[in-house]
Amino acid sequence: MRMNQTIVMLYLLGIVLPAAAFDFGSVDWKKAAETVKKVQKANADISEPQEIQLGEGIASNLLGAAPLLDNPAAQQYVNRVGRWLALQTERPDLPWQFGVLDDNDVNAFAAPGGYVFITKGLLAQMNSEAELAGVLAHEISHVLRKHHLQAIKKGARTELMADLANEALQTNGADPRLSKLVSAGTEVYARGLDKNDEFEADRMGVVIAARGGYDPYGLPAVLQTLQSINPGDSSVALMFKTHPALADRLSLLDQQMSGHFDSLENQPDLAPRFFKALGAGKK
Amino acid sequence: MKNIVALCLLFGFVPAAWAGGYAYTIRPSEMKAKPFSDAQTLTTLPPRSRVEVLTRQASWTEVKTATQTGWVKMLSLQLEKSGQGKSGDNGLSALFNVASTGRSNSTVTTGIRGLSEEQLANTKPNPQALQAAKKYAVSREDAQRFAAEAPLKARSVGYLNGGQ
Repeated sequence: MRMNQTIVMLYLLGIVLPAAAFDFGSVDWKKAAETVKKVQKANADISEPQEIQLGEGIASNLLGAAPLLDNPAAQQYVNRVGRWLALQTERPDLPWQFGVLDDNDVNAFAAPGGYVFITKGLLAQMNSEAELAGVLAHEISHVLRKHHLQAIKKGARTELMADLANEALQTNGADPRLSKLVSAGTEVYARGLDKNDEFEADRMGVVIAARGGYDPYGLPAVLQTLQSINPGDSSVALMFKTHPALADRLSLLDQQMSGHFDSLENQPDLAPRFFKALGAGKK
Repeated sequence: MKNIVALCLLFGFVPAAWAGGYAYTIRPSEMKAKPFSDAQTLTTLPPRSRVEVLTRQASWTEVKTATQTGWVKMLSLQLEKSGQGKSGDNGLSALFNVASTGRSNSTVTTGIRGLSEEQLANTKPNPQALQAAKKYAVSREDAQRFAAEAPLKARSVGYLNGGQ
């Protein structure tokens, strides 16, 4: 396989020498050519329906780990905020689906195709609709930029991605190759995304919230609140492990937002609607 | 801000944001009389000044020192770590049954569900829950109506550097 990869790389670089002039020994040229084709396919984007199919499998796995919060009003509210934000983006017509997970962990997750989940533990750290919007917009940005698809590719699943791009998979979800990709996609949540993808989602998230008419400082406000949580608390273990340091994220947002949002200082944070919709007053 | 306070009083809750918490300045920070750049500067707080956090308004946080109350830039502050568990309870914890510390519904002994690294690695699909979630999906029109109620006004804002 390593030999094949070398050949593939040389092939892509256009510097493979004629076989006669360079003895590779018992190279399986046919297999190498197939691999080249697969890599080329994988580098092409998978189609939107395939992205949605993969995301649905990953979302189903997330819901296997943590159930939906049994609170229809909260679920509907989060979907409304999320869908309004998604309308402000370059992919407004994905089947956007938001949900609150019944889990004490402080975390949020996006899956390909428009699935976004937030834990009740994170919701309980928030103080306004603008803060919720900031977090949802961060997750929406991961979907817009296909960060999870890139992470799956990096996780040595190139050939499986190529199969998906090749439309070789059955659509009923029973295909073992799709199952493998869904598993690979779920593993990404334990490993985390590239930290530059997180920084990108932060700086896109504040813009999307601002486009939706919200106070753009909701996301940094949540990040600042999370800074006050004892890092030894088990509820933040995975979120802290899989994201860049909060101080770095805040420092970058501070630099990037500085001067760009002065005219948006009066956009509302809608704290009253947040607490009303979720049926609680601040204690 | 006055409107928010009034609405909060109307609905019977206190305005949000860290009431009772403390923070440190992470750099020299001008303390303003009002949450505007061109407002009167009351004093300049040196780095590592400990202040009580009162409320937030956009990029400004209202803080209280031993002698004064005023506004500093939110991102010139770092919140003090809470000694144990989580801080900043917004009142939803009790409603949603969120444990004050640790996980209440995800220990290995009580079940395999949960969002820890190991639990995510061992999860099984839950298509029924996915179908249940889909019932809450919202149409474009519903979202637009919801925004108009606030009212939220969509505006054009370009992505920041590198964000395409």
